[in-house]
Amino acid sequence: MKKLIYILLSLYLLMPAVLYGQQRFPKPEFDSGYEQPDVIAPEPRAMGLEYFDVLVLLGVLSLASWLALKKRSRQGILWLSIFTLVYFGFYREGCICSVGSIQNLVLSFADPAYVISATVLLLFLLPLIFALFFGRTFCAAGCPLGVIQDLVIIQPVSLPFWLRKTLGLIPYIYLALAVLYAATGTDFIICRYDPFVGIYRMDAPYTMIVLGVAFLLMGMFVGRPYCRFFCPYGVLLKWMSKFSRWHLTITPAHCIQCKLCTTSCPFDAIDYPSEEKAIAGSRAGAKKFVVYAVLVPVWVLAGAFVGMKSHTMLSRSNQDVYLAELLIKHPEVKSDPDNLDVQTFLSSGRTMETLVEDARIVRKKFYTGSIIAGAFIGLVIAMTLLNQVIYRRRTDYQPNPGDCYSCGRCMDYCPVEKPKK
Amino acid sequence: MMNKKGIYIFLIILAVIIVAVIAGDFARNRPGKRPSNPFEYNMGDLKKVDPEQIIYRETRNFKLKMEEPAGMTIFNDQIYVTGDQLLQVITTEGRLVREISLPFKPLTVEVNTSRIFVSARESIHVYDHDGNPLAEWTGFTGNSYLSGIATYEGNVFIADAARRRVYRFTEDGEKELEFEGKVSDDALHGFIVPSGCFDLAINEFGDLWVANPGKHALENYTFNGILRGYWTSQFSDVKGFTGCCNPAFFTFLPGGNMITSEKGILRIKEYKPSGEFVGVVAEPSRFMEDGKVSDVASDSQGRVYAADPDKKSIRVFEKI
Repeated sequence: MKKLIYILLSLYLLMPAVLYGQQRFPKPEFDSGYEQPDVIAPEPRAMGLEYFDVLVLLGVLSLASWLALKKRSRQGILWLSIFTLVYFGFYREGCICSVGSIQNLVLSFADPAYVISATVLLLFLLPLIFALFFGRTFCAAGCPLGVIQDLVIIQPVSLPFWLRKTLGLIPYIYLALAVLYAATGTDFIICRYDPFVGIYRMDAPYTMIVLGVAFLLMGMFVGRPYCRFFCPYGVLLKWMSKFSRWHLTITPAHCIQCKLCTTSCPFDAIDYPSEEKAIAGSRAGAKKFVVYAVLVPVWVLAGAFVGMKSHTMLSRSNQDVYLAELLIKHPEVKSDPDNLDVQTFLSSGRTMETLVEDARIVRKKFYTGSIIAGAFIGLVIAMTLLNQVIYRRRTDYQPNPGDCYSCGRCMDYCPVEKPKK
Repeated sequence: MMNKKGIYIFLIILAVIIVAVIAGDFARNRPGKRPSNPFEYNMGDLKKVDPEQIIYRETRNFKLKMEEPAGMTIFNDQIYVTGDQLLQVITTEGRLVREISLPFKPLTVEVNTSRIFVSARESIHVYDHDGNPLAEWTGFTGNSYLSGIATYEGNVFIADAARRRVYRFTEDGEKELEFEGKVSDDALHGFIVPSGCFDLAINEFGDLWVANPGKHALENYTFNGILRGYWTSQFSDVKGFTGCCNPAFFTFLPGGNMITSEKGILRIKEYKPSGEFVGVVAEPSRFMEDGKVSDVASDSQGRVYAADPDKKSIRVFEKI
């Protein structure tokens, strides 16, 4: 209860930090030939410091992996996550983060004029490489979005299996849309709906602060709701972690089936030993498997069809497409001085022909991209269904290599001692 | 600890909030559905004036025969207005007495018993009362913008908006000193003049007052440029000055009260020499939307005259 009060108090203290930038007064008009000076953009972060950030991330990932796999110290991981919260969160203000770097990478592939630095590429790749070898240790202590949620967990409840699986589809949809929007140069939606970056920077719009606070309040009872049910980068980490060479284990030696760890994971990421009933019914499951396997291409085609049908609607989020449509349908808006979008276009010097041609190219990209995104989502749904009927024999309680965040809570519950060398 | 039912209800509410915020933001911030310009400075409320605070009414106005009135002063109850390339002398009833053609674009005008001083951007032109040129003072730097003139007992004070300083000349055109309003060498700021409006005036008691528009202040100086006192009025309501640089113009009523004219939100107000707000002479609704600021002057009866550049007329306000 004390922890709950502290968290609520901290959230309350953060609220006044929501400030609205507003120009104090109109620009003075000068009739004396005075020339308005150019606005000076803030200097970008020095390249040396950017590499330093990568080094810090590398250090955090290495230390987190060592703490989770070798040292088996939950307390160590906790302190490391506090460091991440302070450094990558409040000091680096949550940007650029590995989660959002997906979009930079995609855009650099789609638009030859957009180049990303080696540091961004490293921020994207390092957590995935570590996940491939050691599991999701980035989630445990290296991700500023993850650690802020991890620190507010108070009374985690276990969600029903069906709900977890249904909500678990959202990150895939989010990933598909984020890639589509980034590839078409429309928007970086991962950054736009990042619920915590506003808290780190203390300058988000009011609604984004509400979103961040809502996620944190939810996180008191549902462990890491953003990581589990939204994070698109988590999808990639999950794929890597499933094949991880080494992974955190609950027990340091042999599982004695004491079941003490069963309630330790706030993320429902512990797989139980196979039940006898399931083993007996595995033959019936085989029939289901065949049906679901046959349905895979149906799901993919259905997804592609839905994607194709929705490409027009999705493309309207693009500024060029929207403007071209608007100016063709309602040419009278050109004389509306209050329409900022139109006035900005008119003062930019671009011709209507260029705008329409650019919009046509973007819509074509959306057409192809939406079909691929739809097919991908269809495939994910099909594979999720298929996974439910694949029988896997397990004899011990073990962390699910895809879902486990390597936070190390379960290790503390295991009474088995580490064998002495 | 909360019971499970309570937790589930709480979680459902939060889930609804999360979905509502994301969906609401996505729907609201699409192209064409953007919120109104967040950087727009909404001055609607600032333009509202309580009718009880308006203590003057417009009794007359007369059209000027010039396109762009710039500066105005009143001497011996005759109005001297500059604009275009003209200096006009008009009675307080609006009858044109004299018109003098000028070979330059004038900014402001000041009159004493023997001379008329008209400023151009970088020079002062001196005339007698018949309009004969007497002298031209040209010793200013190329960056000057001579926006205000005041005279008192042989001293001529000139405000330079571009160089943010005040000069003291003799009537014969000899510069005696200049000052920039700094209290001391260590003081960070003297005059802050973000626009071309930088006015000064001397009241009937011989007190030199200079507007410090960037600080929303009126400052009283000795003739040697030593700051004697000041007042500032930074209220956001009608009692204060708003914007980058106000008051743009000011003058004195008989008795020493001040009349200020503001740019941006165009309005004319009366203050006591202490800075205490007395009332509104002309509220913003009396002027054209986004119009230009009016120079102000007053006659011996305490009537306020405003040279309105948008309506190309002199407007007369009398106390109710």
